[in-house]
Amino acid sequence: MALLVHILRYKFISFLKTTFDLRPISVIRGVGSLLVFGSFAYGAYVLSHAVTKFVLEQTRIGLFLYHRFISMMMFVFFIAVNLGNIIVSYATLYKSTEVNYLLTKPVSYTHIFVLKFLDNFLYSSTTLFLIGFTVLLGYGTYFGYPWYFFVGVLLFVLVPFMFLAACLAVIVLMAIMKTASRFGFRRVMTGIFLLYFGFIFVFFRVTNPIQLVEDVNRYYPNVDQYLSELGPGFLRFLPNQWVSEFLFYIASNDVQRALPFAGILLGVAAAAFVVCLLIAHRFFYRSWIVALEVQAQGSLPYHPTRLNLIDFRKGGFLSTHLDSLLKKEFFTFFREPSQWIHLMVMVVLTSLFVVSVGNLNLRLRVTDIQLMTYLVLYAFGGFLTSSLALRFVFPLLSLEGNAFWCLKSAPIDSGKIYLTKFLIGLVVVLTLAEIVSVATNIPFVRLSARRPLLLWFGIFSTFWMSFAVVALNLGLGGYFSNFTEKNPIRVASSQGATLTFLFTLVFLVALVVIVIVPLSQYFQSIFIFRNFDLRSIVLPGTILAMFSMVLAVFSSAVGLRSLRRDF
Amino acid sequence: MIELKNVTKKFADFTAVDGISLTVERGELFGFLGPNGAGKTTTIKMIAGLFSPTSGKIIINGFDTVTQPIEAKQTISYVPDQPFLYDKLTGKEFLYFVGGLYKMEKAKLHGKISSLIEHFEIGSWVDKRTEDYSQGMRQRITIAAALLHDPRTIIIDEPMVGLDPRSSKIVRDTLKDLASRGISIFMSTHSLTFAEELCDRIGIINNGRMVFCDGREQLKAYKQKYNGGFESVFLELTK
Repeated sequence: MALLVHILRYKFISFLKTTFDLRPISVIRGVGSLLVFGSFAYGAYVLSHAVTKFVLEQTRIGLFLYHRFISMMMFVFFIAVNLGNIIVSYATLYKSTEVNYLLTKPVSYTHIFVLKFLDNFLYSSTTLFLIGFTVLLGYGTYFGYPWYFFVGVLLFVLVPFMFLAACLAVIVLMAIMKTASRFGFRRVMTGIFLLYFGFIFVFFRVTNPIQLVEDVNRYYPNVDQYLSELGPGFLRFLPNQWVSEFLFYIASNDVQRALPFAGILLGVAAAAFVVCLLIAHRFFYRSWIVALEVQAQGSLPYHPTRLNLIDFRKGGFLSTHLDSLLKKEFFTFFREPSQWIHLMVMVVLTSLFVVSVGNLNLRLRVTDIQLMTYLVLYAFGGFLTSSLALRFVFPLLSLEGNAFWCLKSAPIDSGKIYLTKFLIGLVVVLTLAEIVSVATNIPFVRLSARRPLLLWFGIFSTFWMSFAVVALNLGLGGYFSNFTEKNPIRVASSQGATLTFLFTLVFLVALVVIVIVPLSQYFQSIFIFRNFDLRSIVLPGTILAMFSMVLAVFSSAVGLRSLRRDF
Repeated sequence: MIELKNVTKKFADFTAVDGISLTVERGELFGFLGPNGAGKTTTIKMIAGLFSPTSGKIIINGFDTVTQPIEAKQTISYVPDQPFLYDKLTGKEFLYFVGGLYKMEKAKLHGKISSLIEHFEIGSWVDKRTEDYSQGMRQRITIAAALLHDPRTIIIDEPMVGLDPRSSKIVRDTLKDLASRGISIFMSTHSLTFAEELCDRIGIINNGRMVFCDGREQLKAYKQKYNGGFESVFLELTK
């Protein structure tokens, strides 16, 4: 234990020294970050407060149903923390040079595991923690809770909740590594994906929010009494449900029934950590060896066959520069497990969302509700686009790494390098974003008796949104580039990346503000048969396109400038 | 041919290179020496186009590196002190990638890569990913990549680091051969013996300034002045 504390102490000192750098430029950056983070936190707080107020006072869906929605959001939150930890912990536990170093020292495997687990948890969950806590603040202040409520929820609900997700993540990861030695890495990964996919699919199938809303309307006004009968039984075994039940009983002034849920969370999180330690004690070193074997499999001589469509030896219709750059990007991406695995996760989650949303049956012909549903889905599409861009576009320049000398000293214009990366990012992000946009618009097209205006508007605005978001992430990714960091996930969760994400969210809010009035008028034309002039959507559309273009040009200028910096 | 005209590089208040002027002629092998932190790598990075000079001009084969960077880079090859490669590419793929950056035709590139693989004796591992290479393997791939497009000038930073004796001999012979074929070579090294054996002219930099720049004959005179050894000359000049 003393050894663990000793290492943790030096890690903490190193963290303090790198975080609290007192050089003027670092101080300015720090203050800037603090302002942006503060504004974002305030924004999240205000939004959460406003949504709680709107849902409970305007739509009046009742406390129980609202907390069922919170439960669903907490489920998504739990899965996000869990998947984030699986992916990051592969790099921190199995590919870190620190682990290699510590393995040569008289430090037990369990201690090494604990060090890297904490490292991983703190690194990958900080941003989500910030989001979670500010949302909780907004929610709690609506009910007028005292300060100790927030401290209590923070320590005994939110932290154990996220900690449990992280513990389960490393247990799953160690299981993957252990079974990979027997069944092969790719096969095990496919199995795990199918398992997660199935679980998420079943969860949303069983807890169908639309069904819930319809039932509410049927049983209203005795909603809280009836709804307790509607929930599927297995929900009570899920941590997201424990959080929402705790909040529900607190909101219902029933502290005695609330506290056991916090107790369960704490107990299960502690138990999960103990299980983690036991598994790590037995399997961490063995699974580390398996990870080495998996990496070594990739180092066998590679001999492309004629069947390989993408091969450096083959020519093509592209220019030699573009051909070389694209093939290099392709191989460096698909030979890095943390890249293609994360892309698969994103594609799976997007597919789930597309399938679920495409089948939405919107029956309520109420302007405010449909407008809000549309805006939530629109914002979610934007959020997904931003997440994709942050994860895959932001690190594109940093991932050139120390090998960037090769491009910098070659007779190739930096603009061409930049454009290639921009196009790669745009194709990936735009494709997924447009699929989501079309899927989210189809139910509304059905609702509006097959008038395709929303669909076209969705496609148009998604194009400009993706264009600007990709440009913003690539540009600021260049500005905040870190050529010494090889791990794309660490690049995408750096301070610069978080700032970029916050800027992207501000941009998304601006887009929602631009489209809200014409969309409201459009829904009114459907439900209360008011006249809708097509021109009223042209002006906001033009503003949206121009705003996106200006942002893209500005970001690209920043990115291009960064490419011309000394290397 | 390389011409440096009063080149200075500053990083904030620190002057890394201070008004260096020199010319490396066609077919000349120029050895660039200096203690750690003297400004060798900064000078080399400016010539290779990785740094832009704060003031002064760098002309390579008639092209200004600031106003005509693409033309200048087309005629040179750069080998860095740390041979960082794209980890996920194999050595052969890296060679094809670099060939593409110099717009080489595929047919010519196939032939050139085959001959370089044979010349540097790298055939047994060139199809493995570079993430598994040792420092010496990486160095050999980087030097092979530098010779792909038949450059007129080679800028090479510490070429012998990590090389085993056999590879070291191959590189030494290659550099001699290239110089004899009219290619100008600007080479930085810490090995005094290597520089003395190989270079037509030697420059010594200290605290960003050239403190010595002359041929072998002049070096002999200096050696006599400082008790006969190049090491003594070097230590005296870089005190």
